[in-house]
Amino acid sequence: MSQANATLVVEDIHKSFGAVEVLKGISLTAHKGDVVSILGSSGSGKSTFLRCINLLETPNSGIVSVNGEVIEMRSGKNGEPMAVNRKQVERLRTRLAMVFQSFNLWSHMTVLQNVIEAPIHVLGVPKAEATEQAKALLDKVGILERMDYYPAHLSGGQQQRVAIARALAMNPDVMLFDEPTSALDPELVGEVLKVMRDLADEGRTMLVVTHEMSFARDVSNKVMFLHQGRVEEEGDPQQMFSAPKTERFKGFLANTRT
Amino acid sequence: MQNIWEYRDLIFIKGGLLTIEVGLGSLVIATLFGLLGAWAKLASNILLNTLAMGYTTIIRGIPDLVLMMIIFFEGQIFLNYSGEVLGLWGYVEISPLTAGIGTIGFIMGAYYTETFRGAFLSIPNGQIEAGIACGMSRALIFRRIIWPQLVRYALPSFTNNWLVQLKTTALVSIIGLQDIVYNANAIGRKLREPFTFLFAALLFYLVLTAVSEILLRSLEKKYSAGVRRV
Repeated sequence: MSQANATLVVEDIHKSFGAVEVLKGISLTAHKGDVVSILGSSGSGKSTFLRCINLLETPNSGIVSVNGEVIEMRSGKNGEPMAVNRKQVERLRTRLAMVFQSFNLWSHMTVLQNVIEAPIHVLGVPKAEATEQAKALLDKVGILERMDYYPAHLSGGQQQRVAIARALAMNPDVMLFDEPTSALDPELVGEVLKVMRDLADEGRTMLVVTHEMSFARDVSNKVMFLHQGRVEEEGDPQQMFSAPKTERFKGFLANTRT
Repeated sequence: MQNIWEYRDLIFIKGGLLTIEVGLGSLVIATLFGLLGAWAKLASNILLNTLAMGYTTIIRGIPDLVLMMIIFFEGQIFLNYSGEVLGLWGYVEISPLTAGIGTIGFIMGAYYTETFRGAFLSIPNGQIEAGIACGMSRALIFRRIIWPQLVRYALPSFTNNWLVQLKTTALVSIIGLQDIVYNANAIGRKLREPFTFLFAALLFYLVLTAVSEILLRSLEKKYSAGVRRV
């Protein structure tokens, strides 16, 4: 498992909000096709960690590299870190698509417009081509017949599937899922998880912050358990779930399994 | 009534057009001040926040009539005094029209500041984050995600401000501009028919506000794509 050909390498990320250190040095390496589930109770820093990877939050220190290209950071005038080159960050973000807990679809655009927006205006794909690709993706997530609807007229599960199609339309190298099913009614969780399973089967590289234990155990090939900003335990899901090494992960499993 | 027909040019064409000119001119300025003020209020810069705060607090706290006179009379003196002290410019005469448009624009800008600030805050932050996460630049996010929604959320309050602003233009008659109110009043007095002439001016305003409302409502409809109506 060398880092040389890794799709995503994250090293020793530290992040503080004011005086509170939320991440105390977290590293992760993902190769093509890896599905990494990031678990932890609320406040463990798992969402912040994911948001540090595409610089939605700027880490205080640490290295992020995508396909071997390191995001260059420097100190700003107040000493807080910032990206050297905004264009580089914007370009690498197109390689790291994100799916949010609350979907975050653009409410003034139809489903189809949501999916073709970034390919056309960020990647420069011709409209006809982007539309064709978007239709294929919407078909894949099972929502093609709603392509002219606005987000407000869709259920949460449908919106999240559109959000996944929007992320896929960037043809990213890594997909970041930030608790994609946590805002959904229980009966809608299944349709989103199914789409995510299909993506994993296709060999998509995915980082998934989740509370869905069955997904973490059955779909991912690696699990990270965070506790208070540190990696408490990580490894192969089958092993971790059947024989947790740390007391904390054991306790976490006992509390989350129903 | 015959008299009104006789003086229609002076009242509706000359006076009415001046009212419309002051209204639309000050609308452009107020919108610019409003956007600038909202940007300053939302910026993460204490100096800008304080400036914008002072602007909206002071302007919205003083009667328009008082401000109008202060800015028109004292503004002229101040401008020439500072020109003399700095030696950068000589005597400048601000025309009543420029002063009227500028002053009303400046005053109403404070109200538009709150309109645009509120509209911006109505846009869910997650939608902006989604744009960032797709690799969009700031300019692209503003143009494609923020602006269309800003317009949509701002329009109801914008319409409200505009109706107030259109009526505020009547204040320019006190600085000697011959708008519809000035002319209607002057002729009405002269012919001892003040009611008839002021009533005609009233109807003129009513027509303008009604047309404005129709236009702005259709704009609102256009920008309301995706809004769920309950």
